[in-house]
Amino acid sequence: MAMTRREFIKFTGLGLTASSLGLLGFGAAGVAQAAAVRPFKLTHATETRNTCTYCSVACGILIYSMGDRAKNAVSNIIHIEGDPDHPVNRGTLCPKGSALLDIVHAPTRLKAPRYREPGSAEFKEVSWDFALDRIARLIKDDRDKHFQTTNANGTTVNRWTSVGMLAASASSSETAFLTWKVARSLGMVVFDNQARV
Amino acid sequence: MKQAEAPPNAKWSGPSHAGVKAPDPILLPDPVQRFAGTADRLEALAEGHPLEPWLRFLANVSSAQHAVANTLGPGTTLDPASVATAVEARLPPLAADGHRRHPSWREGLTRLLDLIDATGLPEPAVEAIGDLRASDAAAIERLADQFLRGELAAANAAAAVYVTAALQVYFTVSAARLDAASLRLLEERALCPCCGSPSVSGVVMAVGSNPGTRFLHCSMCSTAWNHVRAVCLNCNGTRKLSVQGIEGDAEVVKAETCGECDTYSKLLYQLRDTRLDPFADDLASLGLDLMVAEAGYSRHAPNPLLLLGDGDDDLE
Repeated sequence: MAMTRREFIKFTGLGLTASSLGLLGFGAAGVAQAAAVRPFKLTHATETRNTCTYCSVACGILIYSMGDRAKNAVSNIIHIEGDPDHPVNRGTLCPKGSALLDIVHAPTRLKAPRYREPGSAEFKEVSWDFALDRIARLIKDDRDKHFQTTNANGTTVNRWTSVGMLAASASSSETAFLTWKVARSLGMVVFDNQARV
Repeated sequence: MKQAEAPPNAKWSGPSHAGVKAPDPILLPDPVQRFAGTADRLEALAEGHPLEPWLRFLANVSSAQHAVANTLGPGTTLDPASVATAVEARLPPLAADGHRRHPSWREGLTRLLDLIDATGLPEPAVEAIGDLRASDAAAIERLADQFLRGELAAANAAAAVYVTAALQVYFTVSAARLDAASLRLLEERALCPCCGSPSVSGVVMAVGSNPGTRFLHCSMCSTAWNHVRAVCLNCNGTRKLSVQGIEGDAEVVKAETCGECDTYSKLLYQLRDTRLDPFADDLASLGLDLMVAEAGYSRHAPNPLLLLGDGDDDLE
């Protein structure tokens, strides 16, 4: 049996007897330690690196959550801090970033699509199917009505100027690519990214 | 101060480059502080601890280490050219298992054995001191090589604790003589840039210019180096990391477990206790090691003062 200082080790109460501790004559202390921890439980927090949702500065954040997603438990975010290793913010956060945990848990946070009917004063929660069908219908109708294939001189332009789109900054490159493809392939020209929403 | 008036000197008086700078990659040890700090912290933690006799013994050893480091100061001085060559090749210049040790480390061991207060120590701990005193230089060098290269036989484990303590003094004094600016982190970020050894624990800083950063502390030469947080030291995984601690404790010591390779390393939060010591708090939190091991995780590397036989057949 070789002892190594460089490789993995797994401590057990019994194993301590054959460790440096036990072989020096402190085996009883090892037994006491093993007994002392028996009534206690371990706490877990999952550690995830992410990017602040707010603006184009894209500060790094570390998110800690309870609950193991692998076991179908609902995970609950308990702590968010600036990522000290991120070259942009080096652990610092602006007031909006510092309040991220409250935004995650805000009761007023939008979690499902909501719809206010024409003439109604109230929003009501609707399904994604309803929302997407409704958006698609309105877009299609407006585009059919206002799409221009040529300008006054007869030059082909294929543009649609009556509807615009404003995308936000918390997007991956893939999201940005798809957003661009959707907007531009419809002929949409009023299109921008608002970085500081 | 009067309001609505121009300031007396309308020039910027702050730093020319404000903001948070990148952390220092490498912090070399200070032999004046290193072992005394560990001894004090071990004494403080020992009070009422289940491991009290063992922690007091280790405090005793650390005090002896402090005395040896600050009187005899056994160490080697590397010439800058050989440091540059090693750094260029991305190798640790003071490689613990490779370089030719200066014989002064054995003098350090002799002094260390004399300085350890043997009153009240268990029989095997006293016997091991006697065995080492009776050993010749060649046998001690062999034992040191076996320990550093990971081929230590269990029969020598008790004596190896004192050899380890003497080697820690030797490597710490030697590392302190290097120039931090001439060093570079290894590609294998979890290993010490001075001597290539694994770390005992990682301290999440609360004081200094970069609060929140993690510094790993070398198990042999006590050098601290910066390592990105929320990354597994063993497999560099980031997807299944979890921070585990004992429910209801002071939350100073946590285990960062990786669900991808089933290993863990210790995290010490300076924010929770500014007096923590990366070496002492690791040894005193053996209870957390036991619990995390029971949950199925292996530690990335042991504390060299607490080596364990491999496999489950330890008692056979």
